[in-house]
Parts: sequence; structure tokens; C-alpha cells
Amino acid sequence: MVHISDGILAPWIWGSGWVITAAILAYTLSKMKIDDVPKISVITAAVFVASLIHFQAGPTSVHLILSGFAGVTLGILAYPCIFIAVVMQAFLFQHGGVTTIGINTVNMGVPALISFLIFKAGMKLNVGISKNEILFGAIAGGTAVALAVLLLAVELLVTGEEFTEVTTFVVAAHIPVILVEAIFTGVIAGFFAIVKPEMLSIKKRL
Amino acid sequence: MISEIDIYAGLSSPIHRWDPRLKVISILALIFSIMLLYDLKLVIISMLFAIILVYISRIPFSFVVGRLKWVFLFLMPFLIILPFTIIGEGVEIARIGSITLNFRGIESVEFAVMIVIKALTAVMLIFPMIGTSRMDITIKALEDLHLPNKLVQMLAFTYRYIFVLSNEFMLMERSLTSRGFKRGSNLYTITTLSKAIATLFVMSYEQAERVFYAMRSKGYAGKVTTMHEFSLRPQDWLNAVVVCGFAIFVQVAVWYGTLEGA
Repeated sequence: MVHISDGILAPWIWGSGWVITAAILAYTLSKMKIDDVPKISVITAAVFVASLIHFQAGPTSVHLILSGFAGVTLGILAYPCIFIAVVMQAFLFQHGGVTTIGINTVNMGVPALISFLIFKAGMKLNVGISKNEILFGAIAGGTAVALAVLLLAVELLVTGEEFTEVTTFVVAAHIPVILVEAIFTGVIAGFFAIVKPEMLSIKKRL
Repeated sequence: MISEIDIYAGLSSPIHRWDPRLKVISILALIFSIMLLYDLKLVIISMLFAIILVYISRIPFSFVVGRLKWVFLFLMPFLIILPFTIIGEGVEIARIGSITLNFRGIESVEFAVMIVIKALTAVMLIFPMIGTSRMDITIKALEDLHLPNKLVQMLAFTYRYIFVLSNEFMLMERSLTSRGFKRGSNLYTITTLSKAIATLFVMSYEQAERVFYAMRSKGYAGKVTTMHEFSLRPQDWLNAVVVCGFAIFVQVAVWYGTLEGA
């Protein structure tokens, strides 16, 4: 639901979305090694497939967004990952829009980058618990969704005053997602720390 | 289960025969042009044009409508909520306590309808654009159009893994069910599914790595190789002129309209 369809946002907003996405993509792709392709592709496909899984959250059904998860596992490469996931969703499964690929990538990708920074900072911190992957994974996962919803809300409101009620609806619908996503990312980060630490972007210092 | 978009790529139609490179570029230009429109009449004309393209491409309408249904569900809140407001100006239609529900007037209904039609038109155009060539051919076309090679590779790999992963997830779900797992709104459901998905990721990651190294050892260097060679015929250019011509036509119509209005 965080991906916005075609034709809703003002053209200058989705236009600038493309510009920002092109700039960040150019930078992150230059940092990407060709051997990263399988890892990123699997995470991208996973982000995509997981978004098809629905959780019952109170009266509504929500699906995962996993941008925080991408940040925790891929670091800055989460941005191309989310770009590809958004492109796939738009073209192959008609989720979101074509002209809005740029802005949708900004909405989910920038929070993913921020969640990576949170996770990175958290891994350096010694909070006195044995598994800070779970704690900071959860914080990163929740923050990513909250920020994505915030960005979308701002864009809708800037587009026009008539979107106020729709925005309220969208924000309210996402509160359970934030919670579910936080738990999900925390559990996965903890799981990877034990089972396959190389899948995390940051390794805990021993 | 998700079905592949290119299941009708084997049909034969003028759009199937159209060179994929020009096809992708022309229809993309058309989508962008339509998204810039803010005139209900022109938007409706564009939708008719999109329907004609789908008709020519011989992709069954039932397939297209099946996909449009989900887009429409997503757009429903806009259609229902947009014409009404609780803070803006309008005709009062209901009052619940201190909250007044106002109707914004017929213009806002028109605006909401226009948004929905624009979105549906964009989705409809995706079918003649991607649905009429095999996915590997489309990806090769993207490479020919000089999309960054890393992105092309990611697209190709991700597309394949989506189907692998969703199959494996279904298997995992079946084994969870056979062990008595039920989804509910509780922490147990979320943590159990999270761990199941995490296991799936680890398995797929290892598999992806093995496949990638196997491909590398057989000489894969990131270039998309297919038996299909692209060649441009006059007909390809003619198709491009028609589709891009329409994209330009609607913009000229808007420009002309503002001139008349001023």
C-alpha cells in the first residue's frame, strides 16, 4: 500500500522522485560488485514474495514491506534492491505505478538506507544484552515503515488539500504494519546472526 | 499463486511482431504523456486508445481485467473518500457529533474518476508493452537500450527467483499447516512465519550463489545472450510513430486547450 499508483501525485513530485532515485542509484551501483548480484537478487525476490504474504492485524489484513529488512541485510545496496522490486511490482504485477517508480523507490529506499544506519549504529553500541541484532533489527524495521508512510503522507498533502482524508486513512492502515514489520525484522536479524551472519550488512564485533 | 506476465507472448499480432526496443520506449512515452494529463475528456480518449492497443495485441481481456481488479481495489479509497471532506468547504450532508461530513461537489467526483481512469489506463498499457514478448527478450531489449548492466542482471535474476521463492514458500507453508500451524493475530504467528521466511532466505541465498558461480564458470560475463536477434523494419518505425504520435497529440490538445481558455 505504500506504493502509490499512477496519476495521483502532482507531476513535479513524481518527477523529482525520478531525479533523486537516479542520483542515489548511480552512486550505489558504482559501489556494487558484480559478485553481489546473486545476493541482491535473492533478497529482492524475497522482498517481493514476502509482500504477497498477508498477516491478520485486527480488523484489516496487511502485508509486509520489508524495506527495513533490505537495509539490514544489504546496507546501501538496499536502494537498487528496492528499485528493482518496485519496477517488478509495477510492470509484472501491476502494483503501484510506472511514472511513480522513482518516487516509490524514494519512499521505501531512503527509509531503508536510514534503517541501515540505525542498525549499523546499534551494532556498535553495547547495550548489555546478548543479542542486539534483535533489538536494533526491530527498531530499524519499524522505523523504515514509519518513515515510508510519513514520506507518502507528506507527498499526498503537498499534492492537494483534498487528499487529507485519504492520507489519514493510509496512515491509520499502516500502524499495524509498523508493529509487525518491527517484530519480523528483529526476529530475522537475530536468526541470521546465529545461522548465517554473512547475510547481515554489519557483523557484530566480538 | 502469481502468474507470469508473458504467458501470452506466444500469440501473433502486430504488437507481438513489433521490435521490443521500440515497443518499450514508445509505450513508456505514452504512459508518461497520459500521466501529465489533467483533463477528463482527454483521459477517457487515452483509455480508449489503450483498449484498442490491448485489442490489437490479442491478449485476452479476461486476463487484463483480472489484473485490473486488484489495481481498482487499491484505488477504491480514493474514489470513495476524495469527494467528501470533514475539514474543507462543501455542502453539508451529515453531522455526527462535532464532525460534519461535507460533499465537495461534482468537480471532485470528476477529479476522483479521472485519477482512477488514469491509473487503470497506465496498467492496461503494460500488457501490450511487456505481455507481448518473452521476458528474456524484453530484458535483452532493455540491455540494448543501454540500461546499466547491473540493473539488467538484477532484473533477470530477480524475475527468475520470484517464481522459485514463491514455490518454495508454498511448500513451506504446507509443511507448517501439516504440523498444525494456524495463522492468527498473535505474536506466535508473526515469529513463526518470520523464522520460516528466514530459513527460506538462507536456503535461497545459498542456492543463488551456487547457480551464479556455476554460470560464471561456464563463461557468463553479465551479457544477455539469446537466439533472438533484433532488426528494425519500416513497420516497427510506423508503429512507433502511431503510438508516440498519440502521446504528442494529447499534449498538443492540452496546449491548444489552454490557449483557447486564455
